[in-house]
Amino acid sequence: MDIELSSEDLTFTKEVRAFFEENKIKEGEDYFTWRNNWFEKAKEKGGWDVPKWPAKFGGPGWTPTQHYIWEQETTKATIPFDIPFGLGMLAPILMGYGNEEQQERFLPPIRERTVNWCQGYSEPGAGSDLANLKTKAVLSEDGTYYTVNGSKMWTTLAHVADWIFCLTRTDDSGIKQKGITFLLFPMKQEGIEVKPIITLGGAHTVNTVHFTDVKVPVENRIGEEGKGWTYAKGLLEHERTGLAGLSRSLFELENLKDLARTVTRGNSNLMNDSGYKAKIAELEIDLMATEYTELRSLASASAGGKLGPESSILKLKGTEIKQRIQKLTVEASGIYSPAWGEKSVGFPFAKGGTAGYLNSRYFTIYGGASEVQKDVIAKKVLGLTKGSSK
Amino acid sequence: MNFELSDEQKMIQQSVERFVQDNYDLNTRISLSSDNLGYSNDYWKSMAELGWLGLPFDESDGGFGGNQIDVLVIMEQFGKGLVLEPYLASIVMGGGALKKGGTESLKKEILPGLVDGTKQLSFAYAEQQSRFDLEDVITSARKEGDNFILNGQKSMVQNAETADHIVVVARTSGGQIDENGITLFLVDASSEGLSMDNFPTVDGLRASEITLKNVSVNADRVVGNVDEGFEILQSVANDAILALSAEAVGAMEVLYKDTVEYTQQREQFDHPMSEFQVLQHRMVDMFMEYEQCKSMLYRATMESVQDPKAAQRTIHGLKHLIGKSGLFVGENAVQLHGGMGVTEELRIGHFFKRLLVIDSMFGNADHHLQKFTTY
Repeated sequence: MDIELSSEDLTFTKEVRAFFEENKIKEGEDYFTWRNNWFEKAKEKGGWDVPKWPAKFGGPGWTPTQHYIWEQETTKATIPFDIPFGLGMLAPILMGYGNEEQQERFLPPIRERTVNWCQGYSEPGAGSDLANLKTKAVLSEDGTYYTVNGSKMWTTLAHVADWIFCLTRTDDSGIKQKGITFLLFPMKQEGIEVKPIITLGGAHTVNTVHFTDVKVPVENRIGEEGKGWTYAKGLLEHERTGLAGLSRSLFELENLKDLARTVTRGNSNLMNDSGYKAKIAELEIDLMATEYTELRSLASASAGGKLGPESSILKLKGTEIKQRIQKLTVEASGIYSPAWGEKSVGFPFAKGGTAGYLNSRYFTIYGGASEVQKDVIAKKVLGLTKGSSK
Repeated sequence: MNFELSDEQKMIQQSVERFVQDNYDLNTRISLSSDNLGYSNDYWKSMAELGWLGLPFDESDGGFGGNQIDVLVIMEQFGKGLVLEPYLASIVMGGGALKKGGTESLKKEILPGLVDGTKQLSFAYAEQQSRFDLEDVITSARKEGDNFILNGQKSMVQNAETADHIVVVARTSGGQIDENGITLFLVDASSEGLSMDNFPTVDGLRASEITLKNVSVNADRVVGNVDEGFEILQSVANDAILALSAEAVGAMEVLYKDTVEYTQQREQFDHPMSEFQVLQHRMVDMFMEYEQCKSMLYRATMESVQDPKAAQRTIHGLKHLIGKSGLFVGENAVQLHGGMGVTEELRIGHFFKRLLVIDSMFGNADHHLQKFTTY
């Protein structure tokens, strides 16, 4: 064990910093032009536009330490936004289970950020119990296409997505996990209706999606019919690691400290309030530990080639940390935290803080509720056969 | 010691409970909240007719001679429907200040209208820099002949938009955080130099930022004695904390009961969610927090009726517990409702938001914990 960075790693750090510095957005520059150029330049660096993709598919093939350095540096730099569904969630499935034709067809537009994807997993009756899904896909008699009927729920960004990757039921005669088929199809077509779900913070990010006789060519099926659950399960573990969002939390914690310093308390500010300061400190300690849990998990993944169930710890701790940051932002707003509507009242961060807190309640529900995550750890890590349920 | 409500109080409790059941389903509340006034004028009139608005005032002022226990009975039921009408701002806070410090002539002028629902009050105490410290007051009142000239800014004022008069907390002498030198004024809402910036709050209510620019107020509009207003301010704040806590207890009851019901209906993994032990224990925790809050509410309220001064420490303890436990119950109600909990469709989220706001009013859990330790 050794925390010291090798000279190669130090060189890498400098290179990353220099890249971020050189490609900062310039004043007056159009955001999307800059974004396109940024990814172009990152690609020229040798796959920096897709840091998490394996070298075989054009990724940089970094060591865990290099990934860590990259994450750390991104918290301090301005880099363009990215939507995770195609890049981080579908791409690994295509690489692992898609055929060559599918990889050639779908991976390049994901990499170029020209096609937006959404994830069709949860349904009204299939939340934590995802395998309970009922959206039906029936293969045509000639075996050339599926007809999809049913509803998906909590579909993030479905209203701006071009394509959906979708879990459908092709067989309900056996156990729930069998008979699930993984299909890809365009969102902008007849038979697909997207309805917004407005969440507590007033935001529209999730939707209900209804399918009526949507035709999907059989070549858009990933892998074999009825094996979709196996493919998705690997992805879920992947998703759960990504949801920890630690580098974002590091950034937000520092940001929160800055906000708290603008809240005057007598001759000083809120960051010197003993109660508040202690809560920030507790949060920071948890975040420091979780950062290293993530590193350990990355290291074991790169040694064993696969994420283990210990990735569940990351989602639990990471989402809890994100919620605590939001809660402390509300506390910093003090009397102004209720202010809502169009105007900015009191502190500039007050309204965003309250919206952030309300929306953050979702973090421990989606992508596998915390209770389900703990069941997974109880069963798979501690070997408790019945978990904590029943 | 006796925890039984009187027959009269039981009658009020039942009638408020019925009123909330009949008039405050979620959709009605949402449409009232986004309506012009932000509440129902008809409801307000009914509340006057039923005698609820006059309950805490003395009989000589047209009231029914009630105390904090009567207000608790009403507010707890209001909490079960997230009632929008300005009972807290107008009756408990504004009316409370007059009851405690108003001259006979001020009381004669204002209270009858308050009791019959034709007049409304508001109470402006907080300022941007004050955070939760009641004694931190910069807004100034300078004596000029028979008048005081008020200058400054008041923050997060409830019910200012529809109030006829605003009780304004201002500084007549002393330094920014001195308890001495604070004076309360009854200011006409249409006074020259008084402007309001109105906005909604996250719980569906309304608030205003108020700017006072050379607002002239006659010396006979002082509520209480000049420079000695802090005692009234603190006493109003204490009554408001008791009322808000009662509302919170009502809201927590709805949250834990709705959660118990929902988990019995919702099936996942081929079982009602209520059969999973981890969820059962969480609901037991929510129930326990609710009961503990109720106990602390009773304790603080009964102590306040007996000896307000001695009750101060308990009130700090109460508001700490309400803030902490209210969010615990709210967060877990949302968690156990899963995705549905974070939507605007179920009432769960609306109750949770109200509890979030209650924690921010008159001092959050942290503030009162620190106050508690100073005794």
